[in-house]
Amino acid sequence: MITPPRWADNFLSWYCNPDIVEEVQGDAHELFQKRVRDSGPLQAKVFFIWDVIRFFRWSNIKRSKTTYSSNTMTMFKSYLTVGFRNALRHRLNSTINILGLSLALGVTITTFVFVDNMISADSFHVNKQRIFQLTNRIRTDNRIKTEVGLEDWSDTPIVLGPLLAAEQTAIESVVRIEFDGGAVRRGETVFNESLWFVDKDFMNMFSFPVLKGDRAALNSPSQIIITKEISDKYFGSEDPIGQQITIKFDETRKIEFTIGAVIDRTSGSSLYPQILISMQKFEDLKFKENYDWTYQTDATFIMLKPSTSVSVVAGAMDKYKVLQNEASPQWQIADFQFHPLEGLNLKGNTIVSAVSNGAHPAGLIALSVVSGLLLLLASFNYMNISIATVATRLKEIGIRKVIGGRKKEIIQQFLTENFLLCSISMAVGCLISYIFLLPGFNSLYPVNIPFHFSSGNVIFLFFGGLLLFIGFISGAYPAFYIASFTPISILRGKEKFGQRSLLSRILLTSQFVLAFTTIVGAFVFIDNSLYLKNKDWGYNHDQIVAVRTGDKEKYLAMRDRFTNNENVIGLAGTANHVGLYYQHKLVTHHEQQLDIVDFKVGFNYLETMNIRLKEGRFFDEQIESDHRESVVINEKFAEQMNWDEPLDQTFELDSTKMFVIGVVEDFHYDGFYNVLGPIIFHIVPDDEFQYLAIKVKPGQLNQTESSIKQAWSEIAPDDPYNGTIQDDVFSDFNRDNNANLKLIGFISGLTVILASLGLFGLVSFNITRRLKEFSVRKVFGANISQIFRLMNKDYVWILGISFAVGAPLGFILMNSLIQTIYPDPQAAGPIPFMVAVVIMLITVSITVGSQLKRIIKENPASTLRNE
Amino acid sequence: MKGTYLGELEELILLTVGVLYDRAYGVSIQDEIENQVGRKLNISAVHAVLKRLEEKGFISSSMGGATAERGGRRKRFFHLTSMGKKALDEANDLRTQLYNRIPKVALQFNTLPA
Repeated sequence: MITPPRWADNFLSWYCNPDIVEEVQGDAHELFQKRVRDSGPLQAKVFFIWDVIRFFRWSNIKRSKTTYSSNTMTMFKSYLTVGFRNALRHRLNSTINILGLSLALGVTITTFVFVDNMISADSFHVNKQRIFQLTNRIRTDNRIKTEVGLEDWSDTPIVLGPLLAAEQTAIESVVRIEFDGGAVRRGETVFNESLWFVDKDFMNMFSFPVLKGDRAALNSPSQIIITKEISDKYFGSEDPIGQQITIKFDETRKIEFTIGAVIDRTSGSSLYPQILISMQKFEDLKFKENYDWTYQTDATFIMLKPSTSVSVVAGAMDKYKVLQNEASPQWQIADFQFHPLEGLNLKGNTIVSAVSNGAHPAGLIALSVVSGLLLLLASFNYMNISIATVATRLKEIGIRKVIGGRKKEIIQQFLTENFLLCSISMAVGCLISYIFLLPGFNSLYPVNIPFHFSSGNVIFLFFGGLLLFIGFISGAYPAFYIASFTPISILRGKEKFGQRSLLSRILLTSQFVLAFTTIVGAFVFIDNSLYLKNKDWGYNHDQIVAVRTGDKEKYLAMRDRFTNNENVIGLAGTANHVGLYYQHKLVTHHEQQLDIVDFKVGFNYLETMNIRLKEGRFFDEQIESDHRESVVINEKFAEQMNWDEPLDQTFELDSTKMFVIGVVEDFHYDGFYNVLGPIIFHIVPDDEFQYLAIKVKPGQLNQTESSIKQAWSEIAPDDPYNGTIQDDVFSDFNRDNNANLKLIGFISGLTVILASLGLFGLVSFNITRRLKEFSVRKVFGANISQIFRLMNKDYVWILGISFAVGAPLGFILMNSLIQTIYPDPQAAGPIPFMVAVVIMLITVSITVGSQLKRIIKENPASTLRNE
Repeated sequence: MKGTYLGELEELILLTVGVLYDRAYGVSIQDEIENQVGRKLNISAVHAVLKRLEEKGFISSSMGGATAERGGRRKRFFHLTSMGKKALDEANDLRTQLYNRIPKVALQFNTLPA
């Protein structure tokens, strides 16, 4: 029998209202057959197509309204009951589903809280839209070996702020921030604290909540404002308002202040004030005789008048640029920038010496991507397992359909079940995040992020979106797939299902690709961290203690006390100290500038610090020129200057001609984040000394340190002891590094667990399904290893492919990450790959092995008798 | 209910439904009209008119009579309702009345007017 063109026929049944499709199609077919008889197949086909086109009219397309009685609520109740019973019946699978999803959701929620916190930082300031930080961009064109371009500096001329406030009508107020430090004392309590000198409008511009006292306290220069932390530290439960506190800025400046107010530095702030002092006081104290355009203060904030545009002020800045550039040739400004307070914390990495610091945007993105991937992974698990378990529910679906359940309703049923599970997981995920993950994150990094969302809308959108996302990602495919079966084939037992589903294999493979990626990445990172831990610092850092002495008098006293100590091998005073304190400077050579790290030291410092001489000599107190114009440089300096014979070369430092007398090997002076740069050492007189470096005999370090502390409390009872064992100078770096290690370890552990859970669920299901087959094989004499091989053939392939894809991916990704963090990483070896393979093999064997036990224990008779 | 005005094609198909009595469905109606009236209609036009007539209440329908050449699909058979019959009668009456009122002379074509 000749049939009409299939596509036209299908098109007809697709568009036609199902209620009339039978008669319409029937007529079309009857006509077709008649025409085949009358005029031949070709013409019949053409006419059939024409008929189909003619039938394509709205009255045939439009669906007739159905009038089913609405028992939707009852059905939903039924879905929930059935879903709940099903979850209970397959306890193992439901647990795997909920556990996996909850973990991934916990990570996602934690990440979101963190990102939300970072993005909404400083949003509690009422005037945030009108507040801008004023920065200036400095030319770096004439520097050697630095990227040509502009550097955006937070430091701005100190005189600029008041000038702007006076001359620019669009500006309501200006606040400058000047950082300082000092020993703060109340009774016997003495600590070094960081101090902020700020203009008196600070508390009007920023909306830090005042807990006690007067918001306008800074109007009187004799009053200060402290944070709650400082208040607790010095006053405990006492009321601090009106109490006295002494701040010692240096030997000649020791001043009593009254506490005027206590503020709460909320977790939403990216500015970290501790003690606020009036800027008026800073000028009164006269650290310098005169403040002019050559002095840069640490930050300048402006607040515009309501409904004025920042461009008005920005357009008027040229005048100040000219003033500045004429007054200070050292600080040539290209232009001024206005950064809105909102989002300022995310620019912390692009503004030099920024006051507002937040996470690097790349870090936020990386974290979000990782938690998104984890979420996908967990959803894949869910999908895999629900496709697998659905085989046990085929009959239910068949019966539902026969009784009159429509496709739509079956889909509804499975989605409802899915959303039920997802909601449970989300609740558990919130708990996990609240109890474990967020506190864990806070303890790893120097942050304190509360479990808090920036607004109610955010909560609603985030959790609603998340539920929809995971609900549909994990549930849509199974639901639609299941609903598409025809009842007849289900009930006949014809529907073959879940056996070799290509999709579930692809999903499992992608899970393991991710697992391999993260685990190889983690071990590349661990490998690199261990390498950094044991890396040569370029000098022998053990057995050295550095004490901050502050001034000449105390330096001399300490020096005299320890010069003849039996445990001390050598000691030296210095203004800067390797690992603790250094300054950047520009030196000039043939009209070109080089950005260098400047160490101002005393005689014998290089010897005490065990810095390794490469050529030339160290400083000698007997040589008169060494006191003024000799410098020791490092290898990098010579390299960047292109000096083959660095000895006796000259350059200018602060308009003094300096002669190179020695070259030392490169060494690490500030963690491992920075590229080793050019360094110079030169001698300064002892009234500039800030530190005393002491080298101790091996084994005597702790004993000597306690005697140093003892001596300090006798020499300077007013000042807190501030000493560092040289081994600890990179402790910040090490803490960061350890935190990164733990975070990456946690995430890769989680991916492995999730992938294993997925594998476990699938294997256990497949074994259940093939239990009869295995029993028959056992009866016929198959041994365990044969069954094992049969069972694992698939998974070996999946693991193999995953490794081949995931391992190099993880290696490449982590390597590029490491290279952006550390300038001098080691080349990763084969160890991470081997470790990853071993770990995965172990987890997979445990996962599969635990299921294999079932087969071994199973008595074939009990399985086969069942029928 | 839409207006009960009966269009020309509607009347033709309504008459055919009556003629075919219990064999009136899409293809047979189309066939009958082609054979009796010599008018070629597209099947979709027939369906559209039948639908309209059913909405107006002139015909009713029922399913039945699957055949192999229809791929096992049933036909929708149409039957004249009493309202349909009334509509046909009225149309017929109207036509007869009007026809009868035509003056005899107007129908005499064999003699030329003076």
